[in-house]
Amino acid sequence: MSDLAIELDGVEKTYPFFTLDRIHLQVPHGQIMGLIGPNGAGKSTTIRILMGLVQQDRGEVRVLGRRMPAEQIAAKWDIGFASEDMRLYEGMTLAWHMDFIRSIYPNWDAPYAQLLLKRFGLRAEQKIKGLSHGQRVKATLLLVLARRPRLLVLDEPTTGLDPVARHEILKELTAVMTDEGRSVLFSSHNTQDVEQISDRITFIDRGRIIDSMDKEAYLDRWRRLRLEVPSGMALPALPGIIGIRQDGRLAVATANAFAPEMANAYESTGARVKSIETMTLEEIFVANVEHSREQEVGA
Amino acid sequence: MTSRVIQTLILKDWRLQRTQILISVAAGGLALALLQLKSETAFLVGTVWFFVSLIVLGSMLPVSNVVNERKKQNLPFLMSLPISALQYAISKMASTLGLFLLPWGALVIAASTLVMSRGDIPKGIVPLMFILFGLPLVGFCLIAATALVSESEGWAIAATILCNSWYGLAWYFIIRNPAINRDLNSPVPVWSPAVLTILTGEAAAVALILGVTFYLQSRKREFV
Amino acid sequence: MSSSFVISQTDKRPIYLQIMEQIKQRIAVGDWTEGEAIPSIRQLAVDLQVSVITVKRAYLELEREGVIVTQQGRGSHVASKPGLGMRLQQEELEKHLEQAVRLADLLGIRPKDLAARLRETGDRRMEKEGEQV
Repeated sequence: MSDLAIELDGVEKTYPFFTLDRIHLQVPHGQIMGLIGPNGAGKSTTIRILMGLVQQDRGEVRVLGRRMPAEQIAAKWDIGFASEDMRLYEGMTLAWHMDFIRSIYPNWDAPYAQLLLKRFGLRAEQKIKGLSHGQRVKATLLLVLARRPRLLVLDEPTTGLDPVARHEILKELTAVMTDEGRSVLFSSHNTQDVEQISDRITFIDRGRIIDSMDKEAYLDRWRRLRLEVPSGMALPALPGIIGIRQDGRLAVATANAFAPEMANAYESTGARVKSIETMTLEEIFVANVEHSREQEVGA
Repeated sequence: MTSRVIQTLILKDWRLQRTQILISVAAGGLALALLQLKSETAFLVGTVWFFVSLIVLGSMLPVSNVVNERKKQNLPFLMSLPISALQYAISKMASTLGLFLLPWGALVIAASTLVMSRGDIPKGIVPLMFILFGLPLVGFCLIAATALVSESEGWAIAATILCNSWYGLAWYFIIRNPAINRDLNSPVPVWSPAVLTILTGEAAAVALILGVTFYLQSRKREFV
Repeated sequence: MSSSFVISQTDKRPIYLQIMEQIKQRIAVGDWTEGEAIPSIRQLAVDLQVSVITVKRAYLELEREGVIVTQQGRGSHVASKPGLGMRLQQEELEKHLEQAVRLADLLGIRPKDLAARLRETGDRRMEKEGEQV
């Protein structure tokens, strides 16, 4: 049994208008992996492949040690999956769905399910069609969480939720971490959530993985430097700098491989470093995507 | 473990189609009641009613049980369960066929009982009855299989129209077939080679349809 | 114990720094005393809805600074150094002073003038407090 909860190795998938290209992804046990990227980047496709719902054209997929999609049945006993395009049966109640899941999975935790009903503000006797969007999302997540699966795979679990509901979901997701043997992979547009609760971050754009690493180390590599430049000089791009915006004598340099020596290097070119700021994941997201688009256009 | 999951899925389908089942049972029951009446008109109306119910049911079931699950985006929920696409297909065909067999079986039994009990009807028509009843069964399998494999409501509807239009023609040709209709007036059922060939053919058609369906489903590389 | 921790989203500093600061504050004011046990990394992560790796980083840095001690299998506790709280308060003050010097430098104010400004600010504050009495 491998010590990785999820392992994608050289995974490729070609569609008429989109290609997933040489995806390498690793999620160790007991960690939360946040998957971020623009719309159409390939997050959902990647997730479907690792769930065995779509078969890859090339490459190896292992989830909880099982090869996918060949051993998907065995794997799915221990995986809790929820995606944005998933719908429950409109005409049936939440209670019916809970009984349905309970009749299949032996490790349904009924007291926890009741607790979640209360925390999420849901009534089990209510039919799914009578629920608001946010309540449906919470209902779907309840069905997944109450099984206490070893691995949670969630495609946009907080999208479209109001701030309170989002907070409730994040609370339950992080609570999963009290058990070191459980892992989570989730994709989200909400960079704040991803930044807050992920142990690792994977950045995907246009079917390619741009970055995949430890969150703290990742955030540490990015800095925004504000500099004052002697008049007439264009601020040079040092190695590790991916973008410079200059307006007259003031310049902002974005570093994606920051090292403290960078400040000295700039000072020796004559520029004065006014401040070095950390960047939020959202700012990194935008900088990354803009940079990779520029590269494609043919810098 | 897994056969238990398949069972759960079949029961789930029957629970979801509960209303349809009730309607078909009610319609069938009413038709049967009509058949009990001694009037010829009632008999005619009852028979037509029964056949129409069967055809309508056979048209709606594949859509409500098979197509809708995909249309209403319930598939990701189901495929997240510990099953494969093939097992899903098995449970689907089983539940859909099961839903059809209830009214269909009732019709066959009712009609057979009727023929057996009435002295004025020659028992020679029994083999023909079985052949005629077998056709909607084959047709239904085809429609359900098409709905499942094609993943498209359009194709399911096309298959429904095709099958329903063919019944009349098929029945006509079978009844006109000399090998079949020469024994119609016999006082006992005659299981001639011709009859047995056709009945075997129908059973084989069902087996073939199911086999091809499961084969195609197991080869699919995308399930949602 | 950790229910009063608040991670601010408008605070632009990394979360691990905020955690470190709040732990130091609790020690500085005496809410967490020397040698006292503190929440485990995993427990704090769950309580704050923050990744384990972030809390781990905060704890590692704090351990490096000698503020807390983490023992394998035994959890973490405040370092048993007498006067730790006092020391942390002093460090906090030192940090503010350094920042003041840096800002003054940007504005072109020399340390001597900065010292004068500091005295003025102190006097103004005493006046205000005097009025309030």
